[in-house]
Amino acid sequence: MEAPERGKPVLIVDDEKNIRLTLSQALEALALDIDTAVNGEEALAKLKEKPARLVLLDLKMPGMDGMEVLRRIRKSRSPARVIIITAHGTIESAVEAMKLGAVDFIQKPFAPKEIRAMVTKVLDREALAAENACGYEEHIELAKKSIGQQEFGAAAKRVRQAIAADATKPEAFNLLGVLMEMDGNKLEAQKDYRAALALDPTYKPAQENLGRTTGLTSGGQMSMGGTVNKPCRKE
Amino acid sequence: MASDLFIVIVGCGRLGSHLANQLSRAGHGAVVIDLAEKAFANLSAEYSGFSVEGDATELAVLQQAKVGKADIVIATTRDDNVNLMVAQVARAEFHVPRVLARVFEPRRKPIYRRLGIETVCPTSVAAELFLESIAAPRSLENRP
Amino acid sequence: MRVLIVGGSKAVYFLCRTFLAKGHYVTVINRDPGECVRMARRLKVTVIQGDGSDPTILEEAGAHGADAVLAVTPNDQDNLAICQLASMLFDVPRAVAMVHDPDNERVFQKLGVAAFSTTRTIASMIEQRTALDEITNLIPVGEGKVNITEIRLQPDSPVVGKTLRELSLPGDSLIAVVMRGGEAIVPRGDTGLRAGDQIVLITLPANHGPVLKAITGETI
Repeated sequence: MEAPERGKPVLIVDDEKNIRLTLSQALEALALDIDTAVNGEEALAKLKEKPARLVLLDLKMPGMDGMEVLRRIRKSRSPARVIIITAHGTIESAVEAMKLGAVDFIQKPFAPKEIRAMVTKVLDREALAAENACGYEEHIELAKKSIGQQEFGAAAKRVRQAIAADATKPEAFNLLGVLMEMDGNKLEAQKDYRAALALDPTYKPAQENLGRTTGLTSGGQMSMGGTVNKPCRKE
Repeated sequence: MASDLFIVIVGCGRLGSHLANQLSRAGHGAVVIDLAEKAFANLSAEYSGFSVEGDATELAVLQQAKVGKADIVIATTRDDNVNLMVAQVARAEFHVPRVLARVFEPRRKPIYRRLGIETVCPTSVAAELFLESIAAPRSLENRP
Repeated sequence: MRVLIVGGSKAVYFLCRTFLAKGHYVTVINRDPGECVRMARRLKVTVIQGDGSDPTILEEAGAHGADAVLAVTPNDQDNLAICQLASMLFDVPRAVAMVHDPDNERVFQKLGVAAFSTTRTIASMIEQRTALDEITNLIPVGEGKVNITEIRLQPDSPVVGKTLRELSLPGDSLIAVVMRGGEAIVPRGDTGLRAGDQIVLITLPANHGPVLKAITGETI
């Protein structure tokens, strides 16, 4: 089986040794070119020396925290895609992260399969072309690709195409809501969060986002969720 | 042993932490659940897995530990009832392919068996080894 | 009926008293020697001191001849073990476990053990009652799968002045009885609702909130 990820440089940034180990171990099978950094400073220094295609970034680190590292990566004009690693119970600062082009989150703990699937998905996404988009999954992936390139108008368009393909997924409505909110359209965003909850009243990211925007819950951060879906293949 | 399994271990006492250390050294993904944060001090410095502090009889804690993604769940707490419940919930609710449980009280084994849970009973195992060693006189130290 | 109750505390004491008053035979298993002595002194029950999830203790307590086992210890895992042992080892026809984690209610059912959650009952009482004298949750029936609620219609209720046919209540709900002026009316499509009516409402847990909101106009 061809492994399109083979040899691609990936940087793991986490202050905890066991996370660096677990990620390196899990990603071994993908034959990537893996390097690690124990904090933000080391990560930025390494990226300067050797640009990475993908960065796995822990949000909570002592010293320079994940968001600051993400900010500086963007500022350096690095094309690296970023997967953000969060701890259980933290409401991801999704809007800030999305503005900086990061739209993939994985919550600890995670199975080796999970992180491999997500890394593959994110690396494959770059190869996706608009003409080939065939269904919900691919439209969502294209939307995320646009977000990665900080093209938010295009992203919203793609999410709408995804909804047109399949109107039963809360993830799409929630994502659209976050994009609306980023655009300053709070009422529209709330409609979208409510639509997500109408589809699935237990969908946490939309619960958190709605609660935050209606002021019914405290905390000021948006929630994205992070599910790993398999892209559809054209026959 | 297939490499790269995802294994959830409930209880980070002597047995749980030992299993976690060994399994993680062998390259598997591991999560250890324990009620008390200080139990995680039993894990080695090289432990590359995760730890979750919480009560494994709470469904939300099992969800947090991603039991739904586990290939194997091992219940090693000191309470047979907790081990039995965790094992059953892992199977029935999360469809984990294999669940293993330590059970101290030999009389409970038939129940576990009927519920399809693999068990290790330290009392029985120790008894067997002692009796074997007495029947065929050979030092316990020479066990393979 | 021979009822075996495992657990301690005030709740158990009153459970015993209730069963005894109905003429049943009650045996209690409790770990705490002090509790055991107190219970034996105050009630006509057999008390066995020990761990109810220990097969020997269950045997001593006469589980073989028991018609029902009720596990109400503070720990969900113990209640599960007690009920499973009772039905699998001792063929007790009815074993019911109390659960504290409301998620476990559904999980226990999956494992073949009837369970009830005090957490869920209390939470729903607090969330769904707007004014205490307006709404009463009557009886949980069908193992918690059906809610029967009695509501007194206030003048500002959105359904006052409408007939049943005109109401657009969410599906899977039924107004079974309307009490008016001391009379019980079994309503039909053309029955109109008035302020002061006491209605007996049947709902499923999933739609209970929305139906209540439609009838009382309160945001839950």
